[in-house]
Amino acid sequence: MPDLIRVSRDVYGAETLGGMSWDLIPYFFGLGLVIIIAHAVYSRWFAPRGADE
Amino acid sequence: MLDRVLRHAGIDRLIHWLTAVCVLILLATAFLPILGVEFAWVAIHWWTGFALMALVIVHVLRSVTPSRLMRIWIGPRDIRDAFAATRRNLHLAGTAAPKTGKYTFSQKFIHLAFAVVVLAAIVTGAMMMVKIDTPWWDRDPYWLSDEAWGIVYVVHGLAALLLITMVMTHVYFALRPEKKAFLRAMIGGFVSRADYERHHDPERWKAEE
Repeated sequence: MPDLIRVSRDVYGAETLGGMSWDLIPYFFGLGLVIIIAHAVYSRWFAPRGADE
Repeated sequence: MLDRVLRHAGIDRLIHWLTAVCVLILLATAFLPILGVEFAWVAIHWWTGFALMALVIVHVLRSVTPSRLMRIWIGPRDIRDAFAATRRNLHLAGTAAPKTGKYTFSQKFIHLAFAVVVLAAIVTGAMMMVKIDTPWWDRDPYWLSDEAWGIVYVVHGLAALLLITMVMTHVYFALRPEKKAFLRAMIGGFVSRADYERHHDPERWKAEE
């Protein structure tokens, strides 16, 4: 499981929120691929003829 | 009666394609350095962010008329249309797809999603510009507390990550063969009269020629 957020340290050494974790980039890219492939498979073999929604 | 119907005016098509270019430049300048492609990305990123902000302001100013807002608003009828289309696509109903207004439920939904995510990125990006030197002001990294900056970074980063998925799927659906009338309209402005009569309810979208 990747980290969801980045944590950095301030000048006093305390932990502060640094932003979203960039380890998530492949997951969001992969989600896009999954949606595209799933829709392409559905459209090719399972969609009723003329379906456009 | 002409054989084509105006769907997108020239200014709206220009705003759409310039917005697309800005978002792609912003994603490239945000993520390529993280992926190891090193270049001076900061100035390109914030200048492009400024351009995107200007485009969004022009788009909003052009859109705040009751008729234009109602065309893109998701109402009860759109929800019913979406349920009908879903039932049809799942082979639960054999009826023809309902005729829509100018935009389908899917188009209204993706527009809403882009509006929320792009506005979140623009607002947080504008806040982050306080922390860099520009021709108009000197940087002030202490404008917000570290905790508040952390939240700003999370919202900006989450918006950027979501845009990866959204841009990929938006481009895919735009290139689908059954959507070619919409893509053609976003390039040339018009849909054919036949496509208009086949897919759209003239009560909900009055044709302009």
